[in-house]
Amino acid sequence: MSQQEGDPVRERLEAYVGKPMGAPGVAPDAVNLPMIRHWVDALDDRNPVYLDEDFAATTRFGGVVAPPAMLQAWSMPRPKIAGIAERGGAPTEMSHDNPIVALDEAGYVGTLATNSELEFVRYLRPGDRLSTRATVESISAQKKTSLGRGYFVTWVTTYTSADGEVVGRQLFRVFKFDPSTIGAS
Amino acid sequence: MTTRDPHASLRGTDVAVGDELPAFSLPVTSTVIVAGAIASRDFMPVHHDADYARAQGAPHMFMNILTTNGYVARFVTDWAGPEAVLRKIAIRLGAPAIPGRDLRFSGEVTSKSEAGNECLLELAVRAVNDLGEHASGTVTLTIPGA
Repeated sequence: MSQQEGDPVRERLEAYVGKPMGAPGVAPDAVNLPMIRHWVDALDDRNPVYLDEDFAATTRFGGVVAPPAMLQAWSMPRPKIAGIAERGGAPTEMSHDNPIVALDEAGYVGTLATNSELEFVRYLRPGDRLSTRATVESISAQKKTSLGRGYFVTWVTTYTSADGEVVGRQLFRVFKFDPSTIGAS
Repeated sequence: MTTRDPHASLRGTDVAVGDELPAFSLPVTSTVIVAGAIASRDFMPVHHDADYARAQGAPHMFMNILTTNGYVARFVTDWAGPEAVLRKIAIRLGAPAIPGRDLRFSGEVTSKSEAGNECLLELAVRAVNDLGEHASGTVTLTIPGA
């Protein structure tokens, strides 16, 4: 990966590696049945451990648990709907001190999500209140792809319960690219 | 598709490496995409506003990643049953899931090991539509051993 030598954009990005991806977050609401019901209806997921108290009590879980794939949903920030399109879909004003914004400003305005890895340390139960912190894990050297030139940015979000127990993690990788470089050699 | 008892769970003794999960085809509509986006509290316009998504260069509004993960999880637990405990969903993302293109899920058991009374499974899973591979990767879960 010697490409980053002599690449001033990549050199500037180095300062973000290992640093927080944004401010730590606290879930707007504790894990709760109304949001679970909304999710299982939206996805038509009829696993009875998510809503059927009597049945769930007979399982290894001993009571209802949240669908594990809802992990990130609990911590989604409350959106400000007005202006969301103008913000490129960001739910709230974004902190400017992260590599995504830095790449936008350097002309790498395209974003393509490439990888998601969800790890469930334990299932969540109604009442769990999550906190999150995200750390930039890595930024690639400049890569040339069919979308143009760009950089892979990877961050890991750690989810903790109110007493500090890690309950899950999520790795997320996006490719930030400059659409004007499609086909460039 | 055969309907299985939603209260029944697979045991390790029921499963072998190479077993295929029952195929599942999701008719993707605007409603499916919007329902998943809002249930996951994702208000990005590309997941509910077709005009906005097209202006961004996408072919249509498209499914958000949380919903994709949710359907992968459902696909696996519909097979494994309510005693299954998902440990990890690791996917690579590809073609967008858009209205009018059915998303076809397939999966296969690639690894099985015993740990005490538990059976640890790894599955290779894919979700494809007419545009290509929407998601592919690995799901790790445990089910009761016997």
